[in-house]
Amino acid sequence: MNHQPPKRALKFLRWFCREDFIDEIEGDLVEIFELHYQENPKKASRSFWWQVILHFRPDYIKSFHLSDYLIQRTMLYINFKLAWRHILKKKLFSFINILGLGVGIASCLIIFLYIQFELSFDKYHKNLNNTYRVLHAYRNLEEQQNPITPEDYQVWGNAPVAEAMLRDFPEVKSTFRFTSDVEFLLQYKDRLFQEDHIIFADANAFDLFSWRMLEGDPKTALKEPNSLVLTKKLATKYFGNEEAVGKTIKVDGSDVYKITAVMENVPANSHFKFDGMVSMNTFQKYRPNVFEMWDYVDFYTYFTLEENTSLASLNKKADEFAKKYTKEWAQTEYRVAFEPAADAYLHSKAARQPGEVGSITNLYIFGAVGIFILLIACINFVNLSTARSVERAKEVGIRKVAGAHKSTLTFQFLAEFILLSTFGVLLALLLVIYFAPILQDMTGKQLNYQIFFSWQFGLIALAGILFLGTAAGLYPAWMISGYSPALVLKGRYGSSTKGLLLRKVLVVCQFGLSIALMIGTAIVFSQLQFLQSKNLGFKKEQMLILDFAWDNKVKQQMDAIEQTFLAHPNITAVSASRAVPGDFLPNAGTTIEDKKGEMTMNNPTIYEIDNTFIQNYGIEMAAGRAFSEEFPSDSLHALILNEAAIAMWGYENPEEIIGKSFRQWGKEGTVIGVVKDFNYQSLHKKVEPLSLRYEPRSLRKFSIRIKSDNLSSTLADIENIWKDLAPHRPFVYTFLDDNFNRQHKADEQFGSIFGVFAGIAIFVACLGLFGLTAYTTSQRTKEIGIRKVLGASSVQIVALLSSSFLKLFAVAMVIAVPASWFFMKNWLNGFAYRTDINFWVFGLAGLLALSIALITISWQSFKAAMANPIDSLRSE
Amino acid sequence: MKIPSLGEFEELVLLTVAAQHDQAYGVSIMESLEKKLQKKINISAIHVALKRMEEKGFIQSRFGGITNDRGGRRKKFYVITAFGKQVLDNQYTLRTSLYLSIPKISFG
Repeated sequence: MNHQPPKRALKFLRWFCREDFIDEIEGDLVEIFELHYQENPKKASRSFWWQVILHFRPDYIKSFHLSDYLIQRTMLYINFKLAWRHILKKKLFSFINILGLGVGIASCLIIFLYIQFELSFDKYHKNLNNTYRVLHAYRNLEEQQNPITPEDYQVWGNAPVAEAMLRDFPEVKSTFRFTSDVEFLLQYKDRLFQEDHIIFADANAFDLFSWRMLEGDPKTALKEPNSLVLTKKLATKYFGNEEAVGKTIKVDGSDVYKITAVMENVPANSHFKFDGMVSMNTFQKYRPNVFEMWDYVDFYTYFTLEENTSLASLNKKADEFAKKYTKEWAQTEYRVAFEPAADAYLHSKAARQPGEVGSITNLYIFGAVGIFILLIACINFVNLSTARSVERAKEVGIRKVAGAHKSTLTFQFLAEFILLSTFGVLLALLLVIYFAPILQDMTGKQLNYQIFFSWQFGLIALAGILFLGTAAGLYPAWMISGYSPALVLKGRYGSSTKGLLLRKVLVVCQFGLSIALMIGTAIVFSQLQFLQSKNLGFKKEQMLILDFAWDNKVKQQMDAIEQTFLAHPNITAVSASRAVPGDFLPNAGTTIEDKKGEMTMNNPTIYEIDNTFIQNYGIEMAAGRAFSEEFPSDSLHALILNEAAIAMWGYENPEEIIGKSFRQWGKEGTVIGVVKDFNYQSLHKKVEPLSLRYEPRSLRKFSIRIKSDNLSSTLADIENIWKDLAPHRPFVYTFLDDNFNRQHKADEQFGSIFGVFAGIAIFVACLGLFGLTAYTTSQRTKEIGIRKVLGASSVQIVALLSSSFLKLFAVAMVIAVPASWFFMKNWLNGFAYRTDINFWVFGLAGLLALSIALITISWQSFKAAMANPIDSLRSE
Repeated sequence: MKIPSLGEFEELVLLTVAAQHDQAYGVSIMESLEKKLQKKINISAIHVALKRMEEKGFIQSRFGGITNDRGGRRKKFYVITAFGKQVLDNQYTLRTSLYLSIPKISFG
């Protein structure tokens, strides 16, 4: 009887039916089938199927649940146990693998946090998308020849523009002005401090910007003159736990301001920052005239638009508007432009920003580096894992002989790699939690790593772990579990060269990147070194800057104070000025007789100094003389320019401008001298035109030149002298070189971030290399054994194994050197004063990378070369 | 103890098992019932009835020897238990007494 019941039906029956019923049911069904078959084979088959399906009922279905669950759980447990044992067996290898993955993911996460922070600037303002600001351009005759560029504008501008806009533009809903930082001396009871970050602000501050009010009414807080809104920070500083609102605070020793509100500290991601706001009409009371002056620059103007209007219609009217109010300006052209406040932090090209600005280019660079490092770390992880699993071909062979399915083996590998990647991700999180606060201090950026504790991130992490583990595990699982066990156990298994090319390309990329980053770091630091050692045109060492913020009492007894300081044996000179190098400077419309004999107005920055400043700073004269007490009229009728400034009036020889007449800020007289250019601003800029005027009334800071010995005791003495002479003033001091170098803080941060990434990149690259060598060496164990038997020395073998890498390295160098040269050239172009790119930098970076790489390789290749050939050849 | 219920189809199967004493198995029961009832019967119905009655204790089962027929599967033979017999007797008594209580009405 060769007629058989339908196979599938039978298989199905056997699959679901309980063991203790299968005999009866199958037997009966087959018997009936055979009976039916003789009558009608087709019907018999159909009826058999039908009967099987009728038997598919809970009574007969075996309990899959319990038994399979147990088996699966046990298998899962065993797989992870085995995975854990494998990880422990190769401790170093696992450690490196996990570390590489962890570091890669961690740096990517940190970059992610950084970018997220930078992008979050000002986003907390509800009205941000409808808030804009006014940009101003003031251009002299010469500049007017060129078309206007975004760089010609500045944010810092005049006061009347706000009212004029409300008047002239129906689109404008409201305007808001604030000033740059004003220094106040605040005193509440015995608490006396100088505050450098308080601004004057219009009353509608809280309508436009979403700062949270803690106490007080946002509508009226800045309405009345002499109203002061404190941030939480200042409120606690002066009032501790006391209620601040309603209290009064003494300002600059004479005025009394009322605290009308306490607001939350301005968030770190705000493009302008302040510690307190004073109502604008307080300022208006002091100097009402500046609110009518279109050429008095001290205000930032923001505005909102009515609904359904856009900037486009304002832009059309901007030129006409600007001209209308500056008709009588003969020499200077005034223009306005507008930009969204949302662009202020990352996209604004205007000068004189109210606060710090970010760089969108840097974000792109960091983002690219982050993704690249993550990618390399992941691919390396896969590579290393693959290389390692080749060693386990025999184990797999045995398992297959013992009856393991391909699927079970695959699962076993997956378990191992999922475990490894879990450790990697956990390590990354630990690293982020540990390093984020450190980096936060280093960069001043808030890295909000708490978001990693959300469930959304948990899901992403889980998906990442599974993906990574699977990606790493699938290739070896397929490859190795696909081997024929007989061949594997004989010691012959295919060495695939498919993955090798990819790996070589990766190694080239990784080393290219590391070398480029190293070159970058070296150039950044040599530039910083250059900036440090550059002759600035004045002596910046051993100069203590003591800030008294235009205090009247100090100004009245200026001479006495200076004499007292000079009496100290370690103080060699004292001078006073409004600003010192590194500080913010105002510009002033200055009219001087030009080379053609006409009176021409230009807008150089101004330095207000006393008659000893130039000598004290060691600034050299190019022509004429410095201010001097021998000429009492210097404070009224004299002006000094720098070399850059004389060119504005068409002079080349400094001698020629001496004696020409000038008008500036209510002063008239003659130019008495020209100083050589000195770098009073950041070295990103060329020395700009500068005028120096002797202005005893506008002095703000003492510059005290001290001897280098006994610095701390000198400092203590100065503090004591200060307390005697000006007991109402706090002792606020900096050192000139710190003050100046502060301008290059962003560059230093850039350098250190570059250095860190260079380190990470080289580390990750070495991991890739390690994986590659481990793989190739293990493939060539027999070859090495035979070579040794035939008489090759260890050195020759190491050379053999390293030579292929050297080729890759050469390719990486060829790519990295021009690329980094190009990028760094661009970066250096941001400086007016820059060091030359020395070619030894490339050599040094290359050599360093090469030696690190060779050490990595030799680890594996020496092991292979030192091995006894018997071990590698015996197993045949 | 509450005596488990005995359904109509179960009763038929049980009667057949009792009749075929020790030689009753799925197919034989099915054939016998089909012949007596003159209609098609599903083997699955018989299997379910047998299983339930075994659980209730009306019948017992044993496996036969392995043969080449039936795809090499053993037969499962059923035999009625004393309890099963008693339930059958009770059922018979009940039915008879009920039947006897029918008044003599002629159905013309």
